[in-house]
Amino acid sequence: MIETPVIRPFSMPSSESILAKPEAEIAGKQAPAFEVRNLSLWYGDKQAIKDVTIDLPSKTVTAIIGPSGCGKSTFLRCLNRMHELVPRTRMTGEVLFRGENLYGAGVDPAVVRRRVGMIFQKSNPFPTMSIADNVIVGLKLNGVRNRRVLNERLEKSLRMAALWDEVKNDLDKPGVSLSGGQQQRLCIARAIAVEPEVVLMDEPASALDPIATMKIEELIRQLSTDYTIVIVTHNMQQASRVSDVTAFFYMGQLIEFDETRRLFTNPKEKQTEDYITGRFG
Amino acid sequence: MNPSRHILQDFDAALESLRGDVLMMASLTDRNLQNAMGCLLDGNSQLCAVAVADEEEIDVLEKKIDNDGVEVLLRFQPVASDLRHVISTMKVSANLERVADQAVRIAQRSRKLTMPAVLEETHILGPMFVEATNLFRDSVRAFADENVTLARSIKSRDREIDQMNHDIADNLTDKMALFPSHITDYVNLIFIARHLERVGDHAKNIGEEAVYVAEAEDIRHRSNQLEVSH
Repeated sequence: MIETPVIRPFSMPSSESILAKPEAEIAGKQAPAFEVRNLSLWYGDKQAIKDVTIDLPSKTVTAIIGPSGCGKSTFLRCLNRMHELVPRTRMTGEVLFRGENLYGAGVDPAVVRRRVGMIFQKSNPFPTMSIADNVIVGLKLNGVRNRRVLNERLEKSLRMAALWDEVKNDLDKPGVSLSGGQQQRLCIARAIAVEPEVVLMDEPASALDPIATMKIEELIRQLSTDYTIVIVTHNMQQASRVSDVTAFFYMGQLIEFDETRRLFTNPKEKQTEDYITGRFG
Repeated sequence: MNPSRHILQDFDAALESLRGDVLMMASLTDRNLQNAMGCLLDGNSQLCAVAVADEEEIDVLEKKIDNDGVEVLLRFQPVASDLRHVISTMKVSANLERVADQAVRIAQRSRKLTMPAVLEETHILGPMFVEATNLFRDSVRAFADENVTLARSIKSRDREIDQMNHDIADNLTDKMALFPSHITDYVNLIFIARHLERVGDHAKNIGEEAVYVAEAEDIRHRSNQLEVSH
């Protein structure tokens, strides 16, 4: 029997709501976390997203690929309202997250971003903070003061980010003292410390060496058992390695969305085939 | 084939080279089959020697295609139709090499025949030889042209060759009882029919690869109950 999912209202900014995981996941791994309907977005006069409709499955890694300027990063930002930080942005359509309209009246963008975390291309640990403070800063900002809770969450997050063994004796050292790959995993630990339900990643490994990249990719696979992950990447081999489903964007439009294996072996659309096989720039 | 060119010209060149090599290998294999047929049906011992000697060239091409295919996978990391082409080309090349092996074995067994080539017993293999060769040629044509209709027809035609093999074996087994002095020749002819039946099997494999290249559909072992889920 399929249980009705318990929906947490967005306008619940207490620390309790941050610490609590949804009591019931939407039944089945493929149930959509996001339902995007007729999404269009403009930066000033320039339309960046054109009438995109797509369901992004829960607890699954979704890769978004496409050439530069195709709208994939913009689309990602629409999933946690980050695009609202860009001036002269206008959006139509709707984005439902577990059935709730992300852009509905009374929805607090800060709470949205807590439930839908984001990792950027360039790692960005807070330069004045220690490794430990970088991880738990989000919890502190949301009113968590219990030292035992903070310590438990610190270790858990660093372990989940596959960083604990490397930094457990240096927790008081500055976050920026770590290598590039470690800094990016620190940012992932920071993102998952507040226990989001979704982690958005915008080219999270593009500035890293191959070994650090592989660690991030392995981490993505492990996190996908607990989190919905949406990753934008220019690296198609990376998309084929880490993702379960892949969306191909071109000039603001969603061209094709399918299982990753199928999209990379037998795409339905010629535009997808031409892009992934390197037949146009 | 996708008519568009790749941004990387070396990628186009590498794929075209692979295609050229496998078609050359198919051409040499076809010639080998013809020489083996001349050896059997005309008793031309010179053609027997040529069939055996030519196999070396085919073996070299098989290794070249494998090496070049691995290099393409490594350098260009192909996906979609490009990936299917590389994988299938390598598999077709392995099948071509085995067809050439069958041609050599036919030639070697033909040389052992003591009965004159013009005898009826030898010539009952003629229609099977023609059918196996035609099937082989059609499979290569289907692969080269991505002709799915032709490719899909090959499996049923292979079953006809299987039936010819059974009929010939029955026929020659009966003759063994009638002419025991020729038992060795009959055994060799039964083996030659078996080699031709194997040629049909490899043609079927090539036809299956043609379907996979063109439509990304795996039509192998369709009668099996267990299917690999994707």
